[in-house]
Amino acid sequence: MSSNFPCQRSLGALGAVALALFVASLAACAGKSERIYATPDYPTWKKTTDIVLDYPIPGHMDRLRVPRMNAIGFSVVPTIVGGKLHWDFPENTVIAKEVFAEPKPAPGEGPIQLTIMVKAPKDPRSQGGWLWLTRDLPAGKEQVFTGNYCVTCHENANEGHPYFDKNKNLEFRDYVYFVPLEAMARAK
Amino acid sequence: MSSRRALSLTAKIDLILVIALAVGIGAALGALATSLISAYNRKTQQGVFENANILFTAIESVMLPGQAPLAVTTLANVSIRTPGTFISLYRRDGTLAFSDNKTIETVNANLKAQQFVPQDRPLSAPATPPKRFQEAAATPPSELFFRDDSGGRAFFHAYRPLINLPKCTVCHGADHTVRGVIDIRTDISDDVRTTNLTLAGTATGFVVVVGLLALVIGSFLRNVVLNPVQSIGKLCMDVTAGRFEGRVNLRSGDEIGDLARTVNSMVEGLRERFELTKYVSAGTIGSLRAGQEPQRVKRVLFFTDVRGFTSYTERHDADQVVVVLNRILDEQSRIIHERGGDIDKFVGDEVFAFFTGADGVRRACEASLAIVRLCASRAGEFDGLSVGIGITEGMVIHGMVGSARRADFTMIGDPVNTASRLCSLAKSGQILVSTEMRNAAVPDFIFAGPYSAKLKGKTDPQKVWFLRGQTGRGA
Repeated sequence: MSSNFPCQRSLGALGAVALALFVASLAACAGKSERIYATPDYPTWKKTTDIVLDYPIPGHMDRLRVPRMNAIGFSVVPTIVGGKLHWDFPENTVIAKEVFAEPKPAPGEGPIQLTIMVKAPKDPRSQGGWLWLTRDLPAGKEQVFTGNYCVTCHENANEGHPYFDKNKNLEFRDYVYFVPLEAMARAK
Repeated sequence: MSSRRALSLTAKIDLILVIALAVGIGAALGALATSLISAYNRKTQQGVFENANILFTAIESVMLPGQAPLAVTTLANVSIRTPGTFISLYRRDGTLAFSDNKTIETVNANLKAQQFVPQDRPLSAPATPPKRFQEAAATPPSELFFRDDSGGRAFFHAYRPLINLPKCTVCHGADHTVRGVIDIRTDISDDVRTTNLTLAGTATGFVVVVGLLALVIGSFLRNVVLNPVQSIGKLCMDVTAGRFEGRVNLRSGDEIGDLARTVNSMVEGLRERFELTKYVSAGTIGSLRAGQEPQRVKRVLFFTDVRGFTSYTERHDADQVVVVLNRILDEQSRIIHERGGDIDKFVGDEVFAFFTGADGVRRACEASLAIVRLCASRAGEFDGLSVGIGITEGMVIHGMVGSARRADFTMIGDPVNTASRLCSLAKSGQILVSTEMRNAAVPDFIFAGPYSAKLKGKTDPQKVWFLRGQTGRGA
């Protein structure tokens, strides 16, 4: 039945718009919560280092780690701050670190853990400009790690540490222990 | 039927008042106290938490390689200079750091050199791991902030795990993730005591305020409403019991005062009507209730008249005449009423009464005999005066007789005249009755006669009888 009154039609239209906005906001919220940063093609991303990371480190112990980074991250170009290189990875850089159960996993054996760093300085959940996530491998869902456990440890990348080149120049490495060699080469 | 006694109106109002005040003020006060205490607790917790953060940052900055004594001194100084705050550093196995040389030995082993010299005397005393320590030292570790009430005191604990950072692994090894936990413990017993005192004070204030308000409002309501209502109720009960002397003494100008004045007026009106009933026969009053239509009914007509009264009035003072006459009339009235008779009217020293019902004849005879006996036995009180009595029975018209302004509810008819004439004929102490009356009364009563008498208004002489006594009681 159609309405004969213009005000009723206007109210109806307003109601429809409000409902549409409500549904859209619900959809947006739902989409945001289910976003996957380490996209399905992440296994094809280049490794950040060719070093075999099977030596023991706090947090992962002697489990094999294989860190990969998307192309955005590989495009990083450092600046000079205070006479030192200052690495600031581009926004939307994603580093996915596969953690295996053993130092030398059997061929075809999958990782037991996937930890993810996403450069998202505008995200209120970010720490040090990064989102720190873990993936629930069976469910395929990623969850932001709310504690400061990850960032505390990775903070050490910005100062001298025992890994890779040991960051002897005390560069700001943007919480990344293994800056890609090709990026370092470009910076020279 | 329930035997439970109902609460009085006063008790009900007091109860409602206390409940209303308790719930109303209690809810408001409770909400306010809860809000204030919650804000206070939140502020305290926030302050402790921020303080712990600052302390942790400061401690972390002195946790430098090889500077264990400096860290210990810092922890001790903070504890000394910040009363109520205690800082402890625990290893990941729960032992207190610096309580032995274990860490030094581990570092020297990792460095493969005697870099640090073991201490002769440990820097800390051994201690057991605090509550929830394992949660903080787990992998991944957790920062904890919680309250612990033990030993009669209350503490906030802030647990901050010390991560075994890559830079630390050189000395401490890479075989563990958490090196230890810093416990920043703040004594909040004084704050808790303050909160409890505030709560106790609030509760006490609440009870006092509710009690006082209940007393004040209850007293006010009692004086303004309940007591006047009770007075009015008591007056109504007095009136119901036939006592019309009381009045509600209330001068207030409010609705209750109006009610009291109205009730007083009503009682005064009732009292006047009650007084008037003394001057009106019960039959008249009954007719007012039942209706005033005239009826032809059977009645026993009963007349008495004081003999020698006219000459008595001439020989005595008016006051004495009235006193004696009233005494005689009062006693007659009592005797008649006691036997279910009704006084229709007093005419001077004459009484016109009547009896109704199946045993009206018997009761009338008994009343007449009682009156004669009384006059004889109390002749002194009555100055020797006595009465003559005439009784008959017959059909009369009972109804309102008179004008619209003044009327009597009385009886008319030949039996009335006959009874009156019999009374006129009877000498002092004599009871004269008609044949109809005598026939109805025997064999319960003893009569003498018949005698022939000329009654005024009657053409032929009439047979009359003297009532002498009651059967079985003698003449």
